[in-house]
Amino acid sequence: MVHSTITPLAQEERETLRSFIADQLGRGNLDLPLLPVVANRVLLLSSDPDADASKLSSLIQQDQALAGQIIRIANSPAYAPRTPIVSLQQAITWLGLTMLAGLAFSVSVQSGVFHTTGYEKEVRNLWRHALATGLFGKEIARRIRHNVENAFLCGLLHTIGKPAILHLLAQSPDKSAEPFSWITIESLFEEFHITAGSKLAAVWQLPDPVQETIRYYQDDQYHQAISPTKGAMITCLAHHLASVMLGNSVHDENSLLTLPVVQDLNFYPEDMTALLELRETVRASVECFLP
Amino acid sequence: MTSATPFDLIVIGSGPAGQKAAIQGAKAGKQVALIEQTREVGGACVYQGTIPSKTLRESALQMVRFLQATEVFEFRMRDDVKITNLMTRLDRVVRAHGKFMKDQLTRNGIDCFHGRAGFVSDHEVRIQKTDGTATFVTAPIIVVATGSRPRVPDNIPIDHEHILDSDSILSLVYLPKSLTVLGGGVIASEYASIFALLGVHVTLVDTADRPLKFLDQELTDEFCEAFEKTGGHYRGGQKIGSVQWDGCSKVTTVLESGETLESEKVLVALGRVSNLEHLNLQATGIQPTTRGLIPVNHHCQTTVRHIYAVGDVIGPPSLASCSMEQGRRAVCHALGLNSGVAPEHIPMGIYTIPEMSSVGLSEQEATAKYGGATVGRARFHEIARGQISGMTHGLLKMIADPKGEQLLGIHIVGEGATELIHIGQMGLLHNMPIDRFIDNIFNFPTLAETYRVAALDIAKQRQH
Ligand SMILES: Cc1cc2nc3c(=O)[nH]c(=O)nc-3n(C[C@H](O)[C@H](O)[C@H](O)COP(=O)(O)OP(=O)(O)OC[C@H]3O[C@@H](n4cnc5c(N)ncnc54)[C@H](O)[C@@H]3O)c2cc1C
Repeated sequence: MVHSTITPLAQEERETLRSFIADQLGRGNLDLPLLPVVANRVLLLSSDPDADASKLSSLIQQDQALAGQIIRIANSPAYAPRTPIVSLQQAITWLGLTMLAGLAFSVSVQSGVFHTTGYEKEVRNLWRHALATGLFGKEIARRIRHNVENAFLCGLLHTIGKPAILHLLAQSPDKSAEPFSWITIESLFEEFHITAGSKLAAVWQLPDPVQETIRYYQDDQYHQAISPTKGAMITCLAHHLASVMLGNSVHDENSLLTLPVVQDLNFYPEDMTALLELRETVRASVECFLP
Repeated sequence: MTSATPFDLIVIGSGPAGQKAAIQGAKAGKQVALIEQTREVGGACVYQGTIPSKTLRESALQMVRFLQATEVFEFRMRDDVKITNLMTRLDRVVRAHGKFMKDQLTRNGIDCFHGRAGFVSDHEVRIQKTDGTATFVTAPIIVVATGSRPRVPDNIPIDHEHILDSDSILSLVYLPKSLTVLGGGVIASEYASIFALLGVHVTLVDTADRPLKFLDQELTDEFCEAFEKTGGHYRGGQKIGSVQWDGCSKVTTVLESGETLESEKVLVALGRVSNLEHLNLQATGIQPTTRGLIPVNHHCQTTVRHIYAVGDVIGPPSLASCSMEQGRRAVCHALGLNSGVAPEHIPMGIYTIPEMSSVGLSEQEATAKYGGATVGRARFHEIARGQISGMTHGLLKMIADPKGEQLLGIHIVGEGATELIHIGQMGLLHNMPIDRFIDNIFNFPTLAETYRVAALDIAKQRQH
């Protein structure tokens, strides 16, 4: 995360945007379209009858907007699942890939694409961070024998409020010719992303542990989570690992060891070493998705 | 130079074995240090073993009873019974049990250390904390009760996501459509029958021609019949070639016969290994066996006389019930206290659906020992209580000497078997003649009546 002071001009800009976001959140005007690159891939894959099933399956599991929408629609009365769909893997198995391809297609057509003009790099980083958190979450869950699918979904969607805010800003009537400064945007994220994420998750009726993680994934909050899947606690550490890996953390690998969440997860130094050894694998998976 | 805190007794591991060892030491007035690497006390028994598996089983049974009641009382149950509800209940039960254990240790004045124990010497133990720091303790007596964990076979890539073991199976948040269970032992059979009852399409695969081969065949035949009725399948005489997740939606298990089985998830339950890896046993001179167990004598003493090992870490029977007793007895022996008569007849309880339990000699063992055996049988559906409860499966098999006079063993399959067995256990302990079961009055209607019916069956076969 970038930590800089906000100039008076930026302060003014921030105030205008603050009240716009607060107003939109109050009205429940929230949505999250796909990244253009993701929408393209969905369209290509879902229109190709010879497409490799596992490619669509992994695409669905790499993009937060697509993942969240798939879970939302899979749980809707139109699909009327006998049991609630609580993981992407479950959605794939229950719906089958053909149906899922159709579903992904309609998501990408209906939700449109994300307008990222001016912040391409930053937006890419948001997505990469979300995916890396999901992937580290999986590895943490494996070590403590907690649900791996749930940990992944919680990690992937934990900061879903950030792109939702960006999307709101793209629709702001105050848009000037210049894009808003990223510092301003980050300060708005800090203030609103949990509220925005929680609202979006509630509207989309995401599984309870995911909603809980979005609310409580931060260091001083995860104790409030009660889900037996420990999604919030796992995501808290996964978030730190992803930040360190992507070079946007105040921590380094050594100071990570002293985090309370590491103690609370009962991770010994050798457990952390094993987790950190996975960073190249995680990085490669993230790069493969968003180079 | 380290300064180690002195204690009278150090216990490593807070599962059933370690707990009872520590409590016995404290009750004898000793200063006890109990070291546990996880944040909670209770061991595999509380968090991955007995308590969660039995809670899940009970929830599944309650759900099925409830479903059956819906037919009688004409109401509907929600279709979307979530496994998360079952798991949340499990989490609650496990937490409550863990707290109870912790309170018991605190009440007894035991010093609990959170950390990973490793020997520095045969009298000194290093406790490594999660933050990387360490403390040291020393004592004249040390009990190792570090338990066991699921074995990971070389040819099976357990990922705890699609291919699970008996620890990670408890993390499921939805019921898979299908489950292949590898193994034919207690854990494999228990989980296979629980998931089959919950409506999952279960295939149990093992090398043996029947599951739970060590049990009486009449019992396992009844179990297999009930298992098949709930939609389960047993594939005996099969070796596993490979197991692979297809990267998309299913796991393929290839048998050495060339046949393939596809399922949404796979549970691997192919035995357990002792937790020795952090103990640094070399520092004590104790040499583990080739099977990775700590070798002990009948007092649970290792080759280093003041170090004892108890519970799963020493191998079979690997039961919580026996582990507790081993822990208590080991400390009594170490402190020179009388530990009472060694238990002769240890019951075996298997919480499959239906339950199975046995104590004493099997028909084969009795025949080998006495040159023959008289066998009495009572079926639950022939007993008033069984009929009232709608029990279609259930058998009590009573083993007596060739003359049909002396009780030698009891084998039961059917709901309540693990409770019912204790009547037979008491009979064996008191060398009870078969006729005692006939002369006495049992409550009516109860399943205890099966004892009388089986005894009468034996009496009928006597040659006068
Ligand atoms: C699925 C399942 C179902 C079962 N059902 C039954 C049943 O119905 N009835 C029955 O009687 N038994 C049952 N068992 C068996 C029973 O759980 C075990 O026999 C029992 O838990 C063994 O107790 P223990 O104290 O030896 O070891 P554990 O319970 O394994 O405890 C060992 C403890 O030592 C700790 N430890 C390990 N290494 C170290 C170290 N270096 N430093 C500090 N701490 C350490 C571990 O964290 C653990 O807490 C079941 C087991 C499983 C897996």
